[in-house]
Amino acid sequence: MPATAENTIPSSATTARPAFAITRKRTRFLGLTLDECIQAFFGGNALVALIVLALIMVFLFREGAAFFGQNQRNLTVYRQAGLEYIDHIRRQETAHTALTRRLYDLRLAAFTQLTQNQRLSPADANARLAALDDFSVRFSDAVMPIRGLVSDLGEVAAAIKTRFNVNEDKTTQRAQLLAEGRAAEAAQVVIEPVDFAAELQPILDTLPLYRETNAAFAAGLETLLTAAPSLAQIEPGLDARMDEFKRQTRACIATFPEIERKLAAWDYAQPVPLTASLSAFIFGRDWLTASFWQDWYGIIPLFTGSLLVSIVALLIAVPLGVGAAIYVNQVATPREQRLIKPAIEFISAFPSVVLGFFGIAVLGELLRRFSQAGWVHWVPGFPIIERLNALTAGCLLALISIPTIFTLAEDALNNVPRALKEASCALGASRLQTIVKIITPAALSGIISAILLGFGRVIGETMIVLLCAGNRIAIPDFTSGPAALTQPVHTMTGIIAQEMGEVVRGGIHYRALFVVGIALFLLSLAINYAAQKIITRYRIAE
Amino acid sequence: MDTAKNAPENPFRSRGGALVWRERALFSLFRAATYCILLCGALVLGNIVFKGAGTVFSSRFPFVNTTFFTEAPETLHVFEYEGAAHRLGDRDYRAFRATETARAAAEGRPAPRFTNEQAIVYSAGGILPCIVGTLLLVAGSMTIALVLGVASAIYLSEYAKSGPVVRVIRLAILNLAGVPSIVFGLFGFGMFVIFFGWNVSLMAGWFTLAFMVLPVVITAGEESLKAVPRGFREGSLALGATKWQTIRKAVLPCALPGILTSSILGIARVAGETAPIMFTAAYVVRDKLPWQVSEISDFFFQGVMALPYHIYVVSSKIPQNEHTERVQYGSALVFLLLVALIAAASIILRARLRRAYKW
Repeated sequence: MPATAENTIPSSATTARPAFAITRKRTRFLGLTLDECIQAFFGGNALVALIVLALIMVFLFREGAAFFGQNQRNLTVYRQAGLEYIDHIRRQETAHTALTRRLYDLRLAAFTQLTQNQRLSPADANARLAALDDFSVRFSDAVMPIRGLVSDLGEVAAAIKTRFNVNEDKTTQRAQLLAEGRAAEAAQVVIEPVDFAAELQPILDTLPLYRETNAAFAAGLETLLTAAPSLAQIEPGLDARMDEFKRQTRACIATFPEIERKLAAWDYAQPVPLTASLSAFIFGRDWLTASFWQDWYGIIPLFTGSLLVSIVALLIAVPLGVGAAIYVNQVATPREQRLIKPAIEFISAFPSVVLGFFGIAVLGELLRRFSQAGWVHWVPGFPIIERLNALTAGCLLALISIPTIFTLAEDALNNVPRALKEASCALGASRLQTIVKIITPAALSGIISAILLGFGRVIGETMIVLLCAGNRIAIPDFTSGPAALTQPVHTMTGIIAQEMGEVVRGGIHYRALFVVGIALFLLSLAINYAAQKIITRYRIAE
Repeated sequence: MDTAKNAPENPFRSRGGALVWRERALFSLFRAATYCILLCGALVLGNIVFKGAGTVFSSRFPFVNTTFFTEAPETLHVFEYEGAAHRLGDRDYRAFRATETARAAAEGRPAPRFTNEQAIVYSAGGILPCIVGTLLLVAGSMTIALVLGVASAIYLSEYAKSGPVVRVIRLAILNLAGVPSIVFGLFGFGMFVIFFGWNVSLMAGWFTLAFMVLPVVITAGEESLKAVPRGFREGSLALGATKWQTIRKAVLPCALPGILTSSILGIARVAGETAPIMFTAAYVVRDKLPWQVSEISDFFFQGVMALPYHIYVVSSKIPQNEHTERVQYGSALVFLLLVALIAAASIILRARLRRAYKW
């Protein structure tokens, strides 16, 4: 540019060329000009998102990673103190208890059958069922010897565990005293190491006795079964259930030798590998804390709870959200659009804790009242027993996730090239055909990723599930089919929020909660990743 | 009308029949879905406004319940005395009890006995500390988030050339947006409360919340910056301005209204979240107000009461009955109003800025 300027100006005095007006010596810091410094500053800020993500990972692992080691010790003590041995036997007892409950269910069904369909008075019905009652009493009493054995051995094992824990406490106390430089006091803390082999011997010595008891138990059940009363004259269906019950009992008896083999092969000194601690967390079916017997940290009940609540929420939110997106984008008049879009976005500003309160104060009771009405009894799970359950939480979570799904799905529909719609209409397709066959499939990747992100929003939501999901730590009973949706559950987010405030900092329970947090974090990353992958993979080129 | 009869039949006229009916049915189904959502939202809102209004507003001047806005939560005492039912806050209750005892002693009667006595925590008094705490949390965290977020957005939209680093940053922003709020709470607890040793404090809450809204602010900032026409930048650069001058004088002022509006979303989310502040900043109950501190530095390292956490406490820790309804619905309504107020303030701000910078 200066060259051309020079050429056009008649140059009478080329030597007296004026200095370039904007030339200025640039200040430099660390070899960077001011502008480069500013760029570096902004660039550094841009990395914040990345840094935060890394920090989240680092600090979750910093607090949580030690869990697996602690859990390994926890499981080792469980084995060394003989609790595991006794739990093998206890499994028999629980199986028997479950069978007894089935027997009671059967009796209830028979009683209802007699009083309602055959119009017998309760006294007559009870008389007809006397044989069954006698049978159930004897059946439930059959387990008594085993139960006595478990309870006796349990006391011994629990005592060993207590002594071990006392020792652990003393060790920490001594270490603390030594760290404080109080050696004399530290020396006074006497630790008597637990000799597991010697302590366990009385338990292991009962094996022959157990074998005897078990054989008697199995034989007793068998004799009872052959003498079981028939329910055929009450109702043929009930007799089929009785046969089913007999079959299950026999299956239960068939597992006895297996248990005996396990007990014979059981060795307290067998080490618990770290992978066992990991799998005890990932596949553990119990989340049991502050228990007198043994603490379990298994994520399955929490995960299924989270999943169940999310399924309820998505079942409601997806049809409504996507339907509304299609309506607003394709059918509604511009005036309607201007009204509806901000209104739905306003719903997303509802604080979740307010919705949770609404669930406790209004919706829970409302749903229960509704489910008690006679004409909805055909719905599985109705009438609802608990006021706060997965359904209540799911309804509110749906309201939270609808704005997310709606906004993103509407965007996806908006991004479908106009040419597709015009071509379809030009070929004579009706509006409905265009929407169903052209526009929705074209936007499908966007809609699916909207649903996925809505799912991520739901599974990460805390306050609503904490307040409304019922907080019962148990795997929902899926054998009852869709009725499982009305059971109270506990969730991953809820358990962190509920228990974090009460745990000992640095303890195993505290660390377990952080590991649940890690699981949630990884889950959210996976969901996000999937959503992005779908969007980029199946995007329609414009 | 001969010509009309002889004219060829319009080949495009609707033939009616099943197709049209199906179309109508499906469209009304979609319409029903849309209005069902709006109805649900309106029902929740209506329920809280209707029931909460009784606590928050009053029929006499100044038309709001001043006690509710100017006092701290107290224990509510419900009892019957001499045939009359009383509902008194903790301080009034003690005063009442003292005067009654004194009167009884003066008249030579035994000390008065209250029947059907019932004490319910947090159900009397007001929610002033909670409102103050929430405002402080929102103001601090939004300041941090706006500074970090806008700077980050400027880099991404003005400086960055597409490359692996920028791709990774964008991926990080997207992923950060999907991290559950309770995980942010755990992270803030692990990092600020324990590792930095800030304990449960405003600072810990500020940073936790700021990191949580960061993706929203960055995305909003970037979009608004992208919306500023290229000509603005080119014109400024052509006039000899440096890149930074261009950004400061030509681009940022035009983008600011957009950034602020879109950040409303973030503000609403920050104000509404409970999970991240549960372990980082919120106290169940605290006697002092945030400014009642002896040293300036104490101000930043004190825990506060926050409205969302207070709502959680009063809805889960105390029973649902006619005595507690007042504080429960009142807090919920005030909280909703607060969120709406913050949003409205941002909208007004946007309108002003937009008038100043128009293109």
